[in-house]
Amino acid sequence: MIKLKRKTKEQEDTRISSMVEHPSKGDRAIDVFVVVLCGLIAFCSVIPMWHVLMSSLSDGKLLLAHEGIVWLPIGEVTLEGYSHIFKDASILQGYFNTVLYTFSSTALGFFIAALAGYAMSRETKLKNVMILMLMTTMLFSGGMVPTYMVIRALGWVGTRWALIIPGCTNAMFMIMMMNAFRAVPQEMYEAARIDGAGHFRTMSQIMLPQAMNLGTVTILNSVIIQWNSWMPATIYTPNNKKLWPLQLWIRQISANNENFLRSANPDYSRYLIRYAVIVAAVLPIVILFPFFQDKLEKGVIGGGVKG
Amino acid sequence: MAANTRSGYRAPKVSWGRDFKRNWPVYVMFLPALIMTVVLHYIPMFGIVMAFQDYEVIKGVFGSEWVGLENFRTLFGGAEFPTALRNTICIALIKCTVGFVMPIIFACLLSLLKSRRYKRTVQTFSYLPNFVAAVIVCSLVTEFVAKDGPITLLLSRVFGLANQNWLASDTIPVFWIIYVVMGIWQGIGWGSIMYVAAIATVSGDFYEAAAIDGATRMQRLFKITIPCIMPTIVMMFVLNIGLSFSVGFDSILLLYMPSTYNVADTIYTYTYRMAFTSGANYGLSAASGLFQSIVGTCLLLASNYLSKKVSDSSLF
Repeated sequence: MIKLKRKTKEQEDTRISSMVEHPSKGDRAIDVFVVVLCGLIAFCSVIPMWHVLMSSLSDGKLLLAHEGIVWLPIGEVTLEGYSHIFKDASILQGYFNTVLYTFSSTALGFFIAALAGYAMSRETKLKNVMILMLMTTMLFSGGMVPTYMVIRALGWVGTRWALIIPGCTNAMFMIMMMNAFRAVPQEMYEAARIDGAGHFRTMSQIMLPQAMNLGTVTILNSVIIQWNSWMPATIYTPNNKKLWPLQLWIRQISANNENFLRSANPDYSRYLIRYAVIVAAVLPIVILFPFFQDKLEKGVIGGGVKG
Repeated sequence: MAANTRSGYRAPKVSWGRDFKRNWPVYVMFLPALIMTVVLHYIPMFGIVMAFQDYEVIKGVFGSEWVGLENFRTLFGGAEFPTALRNTICIALIKCTVGFVMPIIFACLLSLLKSRRYKRTVQTFSYLPNFVAAVIVCSLVTEFVAKDGPITLLLSRVFGLANQNWLASDTIPVFWIIYVVMGIWQGIGWGSIMYVAAIATVSGDFYEAAAIDGATRMQRLFKITIPCIMPTIVMMFVLNIGLSFSVGFDSILLLYMPSTYNVADTIYTYTYRMAFTSGANYGLSAASGLFQSIVGTCLLLASNYLSKKVSDSSLF
């Protein structure tokens, strides 16, 4: 991929301030237009989530009758939707499952990627063979059905393994870790080896701390992918609701949202569950990502990982 | 992805025996990745023989009857697959044109902003949809274009269009537009990162010289910025074409319904339906999956070749 050098903030600032500018009327109009348009895009990006957040705090019955975007909570602000979540064992189980899958898949995946990345970053005779082998999997795949048959043959269909293990083998992450280890100065490696550290010790204690910049990027990407994943669960555990991640519950709740209205005396606050669940599912990621925005951006530029 | 050869150290030529003796712990460290990759990626690759079989689960790959190209004949002879193919091509085309230029336009707009802080805020907001799960995005789309959803209301008030559930409409471009717009909403900010980074590397001297010569901001954008980031644009275009046929159709599973199969069904969803719903036909599903990956791979290789010729940059 193309290497892009990012300018430091200072450089860019001096460039702009020192620039000879004689803005014409047309230029000013364009400036205003651009500011407004960018604002509009930012607005459109967040407004659907704002709508969900406000809906989740609204009064169920009034919300049902409301048309259009919910700018502010309708009726009295209530947390009934959220209290329904905490009463609902299956949603809590879903939340727990999502956390479990995300954590174990990311941890195991990082472990494997770090080992493989280290192995590929050393000068060995099979280095290129290993790299080629992983690169191939990024281009070709057996497809949905043959993969299903292999998982089935392993006896993982309908178990948690089918949702954890396949997520651990991401060739992209292994290649990124390889690049991370390659960037560590060779002297560090040699010094550690001469001092008698084994390969595993050299990797985990000497080199990994220095490779954590890209390492964090792989971890963050893995967390986001796993947290939002739903497809494997529909394929491998469609009937075992105890293993469903949160995302499948959201799908289910969204699809059946209006069923409760058919009962004689409907509890309108149940209408809020859908919004509350979405807020609960999005919140951790939304809180997490602004802190790591720079790192995630670097991951896109350097590794071409699509989130 | 380009091989990074920063380590100045080159291993001297050693025999295989010495290499193994010295490096066996390194190879052992690669073992977990090797096992996982072989089991989860390479063995399924051999599973494509299912596409040429009348596959039955009980008999397995080795026991099932060979039927040659029968599955492909059924595929192309049937009514569903050609429709799915048409829809896949049309959605991919819209994604590669409209969907592709949107992040570029957005990056250019960002580059015209003067306030750094405002630019950063806009960027942060625009990244948000990228982190929202597909299930949630689709659930929101379903709500927004429903009969009394905000977007439907907006369309009927501004353009006088009928109040209807747009997702249930099987008129030709409606579903495609919804799907592509959804993709744009999700990807406009995140997709612009590459271009923003490319614009940041354009030398400020160019702009300064142009400004002194009296170039307007628009002229500077079209005569300096865009030509300077052209290599990045070409490379991203290649990548987009290569992936357009095979990636990004899974959300359709969350949006379509039997009554809109004729506009919303794609090869991906067809493959899924043939394998994982009642009346599963694994052979047919494998055949359609194989067809998709062959076309996808050909597209990727062709576009990669083209980009090597045109812009001197390639993915592999």
